[in-house]
Amino acid sequence: MEKKMNVKDLINIGLFTAIYVIVTFAFGMTGYIPIFMVLLPFLISFGAGIPFMLFLTKVKKFGMVSIMGALLTLVMFGTGHGWPVLVIGLITSLLSDLILSSGKYRSRAKTVAGFCVFNGWVIGNMLPLYIMRDSYFESLRSGYGDEYAAILMSLLSLWMVPVLIVLLIAGGILGAMLGRKVLKKHFERAGIA
Amino acid sequence: MTDALLSVKASPQAIKLDPRTKLFLMFVISTIMISGSIEGEAAYVRLVLMCVPFVLLLTVKRLKEALLYVFFCIVAWFGEAFLVYSTTGILNILIVMLSGLILRFIPIVVLGYYLVSSTHVGEFVAAMERMRVSQKLIIPMSVMFRFFPTVAEESRAIGDAMRMRGLGNKGFFSNPVTLLEYRLVPLMVSIVKIGDELSAAALTRGLGGPGKRTNIFRIGFGPWDVVLLTLVTAAAAVYLLA
Amino acid sequence: MIELRKVCFTYGKGEQKSGLRDINLKIHKGELVLLCGESGCGKTTLTRCINGLIPHYYEGSLTGTVCINGKEISRMPIHETARVVGSVFQNPRSQFFNVDTTSELAFGCENMGFPEEEINMRMAEAVADFTIHNLMDRNIFKLSGGEKQKLACASVSATGPDILVLDEPSSNLDSKAVEDLRRALKTWKKKGKTIIIAEHRLYYLRDLVDRTILLENGAIIKEFTSREIVTLQQKQTEQLGLRPFHLPSSTKVVPLEPERDETLDLTGFTYSYRGATPAVAVDSLQIPKGSISAMIGLNGAGKSTFARCFCGLEERFKGIVKDNNGLWRNKDRLRRCYMVMQDANHQLFTESVLDEVLLSMKKPDTAAAENVLLDLDLLPLKDLHPMALSGGQKQRVAVAGAVASDKEVVFFDEPTSGLDLKHMQYTSTVIRKLQEKGKTIFIITHDYEFILRTCRRVLHFDSGKIIGNYPLDEEGTARLLEFFLIKSREET
Repeated sequence: MEKKMNVKDLINIGLFTAIYVIVTFAFGMTGYIPIFMVLLPFLISFGAGIPFMLFLTKVKKFGMVSIMGALLTLVMFGTGHGWPVLVIGLITSLLSDLILSSGKYRSRAKTVAGFCVFNGWVIGNMLPLYIMRDSYFESLRSGYGDEYAAILMSLLSLWMVPVLIVLLIAGGILGAMLGRKVLKKHFERAGIA
Repeated sequence: MTDALLSVKASPQAIKLDPRTKLFLMFVISTIMISGSIEGEAAYVRLVLMCVPFVLLLTVKRLKEALLYVFFCIVAWFGEAFLVYSTTGILNILIVMLSGLILRFIPIVVLGYYLVSSTHVGEFVAAMERMRVSQKLIIPMSVMFRFFPTVAEESRAIGDAMRMRGLGNKGFFSNPVTLLEYRLVPLMVSIVKIGDELSAAALTRGLGGPGKRTNIFRIGFGPWDVVLLTLVTAAAAVYLLA
Repeated sequence: MIELRKVCFTYGKGEQKSGLRDINLKIHKGELVLLCGESGCGKTTLTRCINGLIPHYYEGSLTGTVCINGKEISRMPIHETARVVGSVFQNPRSQFFNVDTTSELAFGCENMGFPEEEINMRMAEAVADFTIHNLMDRNIFKLSGGEKQKLACASVSATGPDILVLDEPSSNLDSKAVEDLRRALKTWKKKGKTIIIAEHRLYYLRDLVDRTILLENGAIIKEFTSREIVTLQQKQTEQLGLRPFHLPSSTKVVPLEPERDETLDLTGFTYSYRGATPAVAVDSLQIPKGSISAMIGLNGAGKSTFARCFCGLEERFKGIVKDNNGLWRNKDRLRRCYMVMQDANHQLFTESVLDEVLLSMKKPDTAAAENVLLDLDLLPLKDLHPMALSGGQKQRVAVAGAVASDKEVVFFDEPTSGLDLKHMQYTSTVIRKLQEKGKTIFIITHDYEFILRTCRRVLHFDSGKIIGNYPLDEEGTARLLEFFLIKSREET
């Protein structure tokens, strides 16, 4: 198998990134409803399963997911989601690429794992809320008293982070499974996978 | 917004900034806005930085948006500075939450809006090339920008077909997975097909050759770039030292 | 000079196109060579051998040699070939790389690393040659298909290749855009470019081609000189499986069923997108039920908007459709109307042809569904994935969906774009079958021969209005021909 990326690979990476970004924004809109905000990691990673699994059959070269991650985080950064997503997104997509390439972009367990790790960039999008929280409540407490700060803290408390991660992984596993199912049911039979 | 993520027409602008300046502004302002407090010197830094998106909106002739932005900022600042201390209970929590979120995120979001609507795709690519970003990132990036409107177009057509066949959004809650499948499968198929044809066309036009690409978009730093870069750098310095 | 010697090619798996068998061909500098033949005859494959996409993009086994000026294409990297051979493709939507027109025009030159001043010069020349001043600095997604194709020609021209290869460039174009394309070819010819064009629609090329090559099953079976082409009669072209070189003034049409007396009454068909001038503005219109109407007019004349409003797809639309039994509301129309889209990919959702039909039925009934498929020659395909079918088959699956759902009004959006004679005739048969079932049918089309063969009446759209509503009798046929030939006549 050729290792170097050719024009077709780069074009495929670009178009699947576009789809991934649009899926993210489409589900991101629901984030304006507070309850969905918590569900966001689940929804995004579930919804992106179908395109991502198809993407993996298209390029199969190391770097494909890293490039996607770089572009995705650049879009998030450029549209005002803060800098943490740049850092987190690059790390998760590189990790994901490593996992996927160790399974030759084919192994079932590794595609599921790689997908879940990749979706970790969402944490980067939400991180500003937590970073803000510390400095914010510090100033609040000094001028205002512990009681209210405590209530607020609980809403954005740190125990939510593991919850988010669990949701992310659950969505990722379900999304990847759906993606693989659709791959067999549709894309392979339609001759495009 | 997904119709075109960056602008495709040279829009009228009073001050034209280099895309690299915009990215730097974004980086500094988002960092300070998210982590900064509203007390001490930091408060002044924030105040100065909050004016930047406002001015930039004016330079692209978005008066309405600019005024709306100022309105929200003032209300939120007022809320955080005064209302927090004179309210109690749920109302208090709401005010604290809302004003906190608005004060910290609206400037960044507005700056993002400015970046997206004032930057031509070609300029952005030129800026990336100037920063010596690899073609392996630049080609997919151009393709991504090109496919945002394509995906939107295809998705609209598929949505129409679904409605015509009675597969509309009514059944969403009874069977969301099937609906997701109906929407995504035809979309994937046609996008992949367009991608294959695009790859062929791009190859016949010399994309991916070994030589250096030219870029007809001229970018570069002007006086306004210098002004803004200095301002923001100074603000960052004050913030870090304070 | 282009020289193909003993070229054989078979595609690897995954590509449905047919290959080539023992092609020997010499094309001289400055010649315009037309490649024609039925779908699957190998003409597209032949163009790909010349522009280097075979073997550099499409995989398969290639033997023999293709040489341009003595250099073998298969041994040259494709970006080198790109400097000599420019390509224009069938689908205007998928061949541009940028979002804005100016970048697109510069794209090829940028890739080849020309200096900036030279690019600006070349761009200015292309803009002048193809008169596309009005298209510069615009969003490509807002251009019509014809404008996109014009831009594609200009962009390819800007890099200054000596050879141009066009693969069914007129498939998606209206009559005015076809005329623009003809002018582009003329411009190139004047500059001494060598042109190879694979095409189904032939009439616009009549006085341009130097040599016509007929392919069948991947082999060259006949050659015509430009003089022979002019004298070919319709009967002869038909025997060769080709579309005519002259638009016929009449075609023997299989008589249609008499239309019923009941009508659909339309009033207040006015609609505009976002406050702009109305895209469609038709005060009132009566359409006999059970008729087949051709909707003609240039792109942007309001045909699609009219269809979308009629089908109930535009929620803000307030116009009225009535029949003897009463009013059809927007929602009713969504239920009673169906549009067979130009790109059938958009309307196929399930995993098999049979499921596709079952999905349309109110009460899924396998026996009834199979009957529908039998009627449309789809029964042998019932277990295949709809997306794995050919374009024409997909279209029929979409039609099957309409039949199964018992829709009363069916719109077709350019059902014959890019079809050869045989498939066009077959589509016509399918549509007439649909009419026999009592459906009222509207067809948006730019295909003159197809209209004569299929339709009974014509609705001519212009700037949102219907400026002609006439039956296709002798007089109507003459009027129709006038519309299709208007541009070329202006010139001569």
